[in-house]
Amino acid sequence: MIELKQIEKNYRRGAEEVHALRGVDLSIAAGELLAITGPSGAGKTTLLHILGCLDQPSKGEVLFDGVKASSLAENKLVKLRREKIGFVFQQFYLIPRLSVFDNIALPLLFSKKSADRNKILELAALVGLEHRLDHSPAQLSGGEMQRTAIARGLVNGPEILLADEPTGNLDTENSEKIYKILRSLSENGLTTVMITHNPELAARAERAIQIRDGLIHS
Amino acid sequence: MSGFLNLSWQNLLRHRTRSILTMLGMAASVGVLFSVLSFNQGFNQGLETELERTGLHFMIVPSGCAHEVASLVLHGAVIPKFLDTKVMQHVRSTSGISLATPILVAQLPDPQRGKIDLIYGVDMAALSAIKPGWQIDGKTPTQENEVLLGYEVAQHEKLQPGDTLRTTEDGRTLIVGGIVNLTGSQDDAFVYLPIETAQALLDHPSAATAIGVKVDDPSKMVEIIESLSAAVPGIQIVTMGEVMNSISNLAASAKALSLSIVLIAILISAVGVMNSILMAVFERTQEIGMMRAVGASRFDIFRIILEETTIIALVGGLIGIFLSVLGSRLIETFVRSVVPYVPSGELISFDPKIAAGSVLFIFIIGIAAGVYPAWKAAKINPIEAIKG
Ligand SMILES: Nc1ncnc2c1ncn2[C@@H]1O[C@H](COP(=O)(O)OP(=O)(O)OP(=O)(O)O)[C@@H](O)[C@H]1O
Ligand SMILES: [Mg+2]
Repeated sequence: MIELKQIEKNYRRGAEEVHALRGVDLSIAAGELLAITGPSGAGKTTLLHILGCLDQPSKGEVLFDGVKASSLAENKLVKLRREKIGFVFQQFYLIPRLSVFDNIALPLLFSKKSADRNKILELAALVGLEHRLDHSPAQLSGGEMQRTAIARGLVNGPEILLADEPTGNLDTENSEKIYKILRSLSENGLTTVMITHNPELAARAERAIQIRDGLIHS
Repeated sequence: MSGFLNLSWQNLLRHRTRSILTMLGMAASVGVLFSVLSFNQGFNQGLETELERTGLHFMIVPSGCAHEVASLVLHGAVIPKFLDTKVMQHVRSTSGISLATPILVAQLPDPQRGKIDLIYGVDMAALSAIKPGWQIDGKTPTQENEVLLGYEVAQHEKLQPGDTLRTTEDGRTLIVGGIVNLTGSQDDAFVYLPIETAQALLDHPSAATAIGVKVDDPSKMVEIIESLSAAVPGIQIVTMGEVMNSISNLAASAKALSLSIVLIAILISAVGVMNSILMAVFERTQEIGMMRAVGASRFDIFRIILEETTIIALVGGLIGIFLSVLGSRLIETFVRSVVPYVPSGELISFDPKIAAGSVLFIFIIGIAAGVYPAWKAAKINPIEAIKG
């Protein structure tokens, strides 16, 4: 469903040019669970942002469901992200004064849909937070915060969920819970990409790729 | 509450103290704006009704600084110059005049009380024509030793109708006949007495500081004034319209000054709002990046931030109006003490148009102050923001 062709990404850092990605070819099939590993600074996050159409490559093509996303206008990209892509981050980024319910429903605000209570309840149940809907983020554990963020990433019914070190701030037990949720999502047909530093989790994924110095070493 | 509004509102609650202080800054400036505008309107209206109520068409005063003299006579002040006694005879013999009444304003010291009374000698029969708006407790003097007290004098001296004000040098006892109800103007500070008594006390028989004139037909006023000025030397004629004009000119600079101070206050509080929202934007950079990633457009972000400023401006504005209505008495007292001439009556009354106008103005200012932070927020690069 997503295809990357010869992706390069360069950053300027003062006078020096950083080659974050140096010709990445990657094809992700619908419904697969892909783990991305690799040392710090290898280009994993850069790759994930390009997959999520949040960033544009310096060279190469991104095909999203056959559509050339790398040449879409900003407003089309916004629409694409809204409708087809869910993001989960290492630092959760929940909004402190909103309840778990409202945090999950947040993306609906931007897609101008009203929050259907049953649907939010369903998502909350999926990540095991049905009893926490009225809590504020400060009252949650790290694992619960990340599960809230996953539910938020799913609320618009995306085709792909992109998670950047979702377990990076969590202990083993909570990491395990998050992994199981992602796994069952992909088993239910959701394409899932997860960056992780945890080799054990990567090994259990359907497919794992390793990035080093801006290139894939599978 | 709609989702966006709720989000903005909750964001403001994250830094409650900061938001409240910023709102209070807005509230203060809106409150002052509202008060100044209400006051200006009340002032103009008060002046107009006072003009309408004055039964006189013009005043004859000794030549000199005529406008000042007339306005001072109208509202009481002491002028050292007297009109020549012959002037009165001239005026009386001029045709087209329905009323000509002498007025004598002077200071009269009372060594026994160690005080100086401001006396206003007037023909008591013509009083209702000169001061048609007055309400009097007790009665209008009919005897030559009866006086009428301005409200403040009565309060200050703790006198009631029937009490004795003072005994004069020539052995008269001045008795309080009545007390004028509070007018809120300089009229409150005078002792009114029959003009003959005033002349006798000053030892100036038939002296007057001014002559108030009413004509039969106001459309002929100009001709009458011209013929009078030509016939009688050493006088100046000031119409009530001119008096009111010079008063409002005098007040205009005070109004302009106060308005510009208000505008500066508003500018300062707008900068305060901008600063506080800008801080909030910088603090929430990562969160804004996240929102962009989960589907917010630049415009969505712009809107969230702009709504935060408009909430601050609107809530602040409403609080400001509310407080200034509560405090209007206080403000009025203060303004009366600093503005040279203030017409009688309540000046700051709640006018919904002015209130709505002030809130609308601050709303616009709020939006203007919010545009820059909102634009900054919309420009945040989500990739940079969420890299962590
Ligand atoms: N905005 C930027 N400007 C300059 N250089 C950047 C920028 N973003 C990323 N880089 C560089 O690109 C390279 C890849 O960064 P990236 O964030 O993708 O690494 P990563 O694999 O996600 O690392 P980590 O595991 O530490 O998160 C790094 O060398 C980084 O310093
Ligand atoms: Mg990274």
